[in-house]
Amino acid sequence: MTKNQGNARITVDQRINHLADSKDRLTIFIILGTGLAIWEIIVRLKQLPAYLLPAPTEIAQTLWVQRLYYARAAAITSLEALTGLAVGVGVGIAIATLITFWSSLEHGILALAILVKATPIVAIAPLLIIWLGFGPAPKIVITALMTFFPVLVNMHAGFHAVEPAVLELFHSLAASRWEVFTHARWPSSLPYLFAALRIVGPLSLIGAVVAEWAGASTGLGRAMWLAYTNLNIPALFAAVFCSATIGVLLSSLIAALERRVIFW
Amino acid sequence: MQVSLWGVSKTYTDGPRPTPALRPITLEIQSGEFVSLIGPSGCGKSTLLKIIADQTSPSNGEIRLDGAPPALARGQKRIAWMAQNPALLPWKTVIDNVRLPQLINRQARHNAPKPESLLSMVGLDDTAQAYPSTLSGGMQQRVALARTLATGAPLWLMDEPFAALDELTREQLTEEVLALWATFHPTVLWVTHNIIEAIRMADRVFVLSPGPGAIRATLSIHIPRPRDETSPEMVRILRELRRILREPWNDRA
Repeated sequence: MTKNQGNARITVDQRINHLADSKDRLTIFIILGTGLAIWEIIVRLKQLPAYLLPAPTEIAQTLWVQRLYYARAAAITSLEALTGLAVGVGVGIAIATLITFWSSLEHGILALAILVKATPIVAIAPLLIIWLGFGPAPKIVITALMTFFPVLVNMHAGFHAVEPAVLELFHSLAASRWEVFTHARWPSSLPYLFAALRIVGPLSLIGAVVAEWAGASTGLGRAMWLAYTNLNIPALFAAVFCSATIGVLLSSLIAALERRVIFW
Repeated sequence: MQVSLWGVSKTYTDGPRPTPALRPITLEIQSGEFVSLIGPSGCGKSTLLKIIADQTSPSNGEIRLDGAPPALARGQKRIAWMAQNPALLPWKTVIDNVRLPQLINRQARHNAPKPESLLSMVGLDDTAQAYPSTLSGGMQQRVALARTLATGAPLWLMDEPFAALDELTREQLTEEVLALWATFHPTVLWVTHNIIEAIRMADRVFVLSPGPGAIRATLSIHIPRPRDETSPEMVRILRELRRILREPWNDRA
C-alpha cells in the first residue's frame, strides 16, 4: 500500500468515527431530555414537595439564581480533584516503574499499596482534616489516596504486557533496562494508563467531594453538606448536577486525550 | 563471524521432570557461510539458535563466536536476531523501527548502512512514514529484515523468519535475503522446516533428528546461485535430503 492510500484510509476512518460520535451525542441528548421530561411530569402530576424531590426546572432555577456561588464551588472542587488526580497518577506510575526495575520490591510494595487501598477513606478523611486543616491540602491527599491504586495496578500490568518477541529483539540488541523501558515498556503501558484514567477520573471527583463533606470552607461537597443540613433539596441537587457535569467533562477530556495519544 | 560449538546440549529442568531438548551438538561454521538448520518440529533447532544468540544458556558444552562466548558477542552488539514474529513497535513509523538498532547501538550509526538506504534495499522507501499496522505481513517482515541489517552485525540468526508468509512472498523474500547476504557477507544461520528453502539458500545444510535433536547429516551444496530447484544436481540433493529426513531415526540415547 502506498502512503497516499494509507492516508486516505485514515481520513475515511476518522469520518466514520466522527459520524458515530455525533450520532452518539444525539442519542445521549434524546435519552437525557426524555428522562428530565418524565421527572418533571411526575413531580408536577403528583405535586411532590421540593424537600422530597424538586422538579428539574426548580433545580435549574436554583442554579441560575446562585450561578456565581456554584461556579466558584465547582472551580474549587475541580481544581482539588485534578491536583489530587495528578498526584495519584504520578505516584501510581512512579511506584509501578520502581517495582518494574526492582522486582524484588514488588510483593512488599504491592502489599503496602493494598493496605492503603483497603483503608476506608471516609474513616480517615476527618483525621486528615484535623492534621492538614480546612484548606485544599487534605482534599488533594484524599483524592490521591483514592486514585493511585488503579493506576499502579494497571501500569504494573502494562509494563509487563510487552510481546515476548519484542523483548527477545531488545535482548538481541543488548539494550539496557532503561532502553527497554523507554522504547518498549512505557509505550506498551499507555493503553493501560488510559484504562486506569477512565476509572480514576470520575473517582477523583468523588474523592474531592467526600473530603469536602468531611470539613471544608468552600467547594461542591461543602455546598451539598450545607444544603443537606438545611434540607434545601433543590440546592443539594444543584450541587450534584454540577459535580455530574464536571465528571462528564473530565471523562470526555480523557477519552479525547486517549484518541490522540494511542493512535496505533 | 566464525561459529564453533563443542558438545552443546540442552535439557529443560523447569518442568516436573527434566526434558531433553538437544543432544550434544558439535559444529563449525566459517565466516561468511550461509548455513541452514532443518529438522522436524520439536527437534530443538530453534533452541540451538537461541543458545547461539544468548537468549538461553546451554546445559553443557562450549560456544565460541569469533573466539568469544555468546554473551560477550551479544554485549558487543555483533548478533542480529530475526524471528517469525516481526516484532515491530506499532507506535513507531517504519523508518523509526529500522532506526531502532542504531538508536541503541550508537556505533552502528557509523559502521552499518543508513536506515533510509536499507529501506529502499527492501523496496519500501515510500512507506517510511507509515505505521506497521497499515502494512501486509510480507511488508512487515521486509521492515524487520531492514532492521536486522541496521545492526551491522556480522552474524545473522534467523528463526524461520518467513514461515508465516504465503509461498510467493516467501520465495521473493528469500531471494532478497540472498542478495543482501551477497552484499554484506555476514555469517547466516537459517532455521527452517522447508526443504526447498534450505537447499536453495545454504552453502551447507545441517539436518537435525527428531527431538531431542542431534545432527544426523550435513549436506554441502556447491551450486552457484541463483539456484534452479529443477536442475539435475538440485533434484539429486533434494532427493538425498528427503531420503535422510524419511529414514527412521535410530534413537541411541
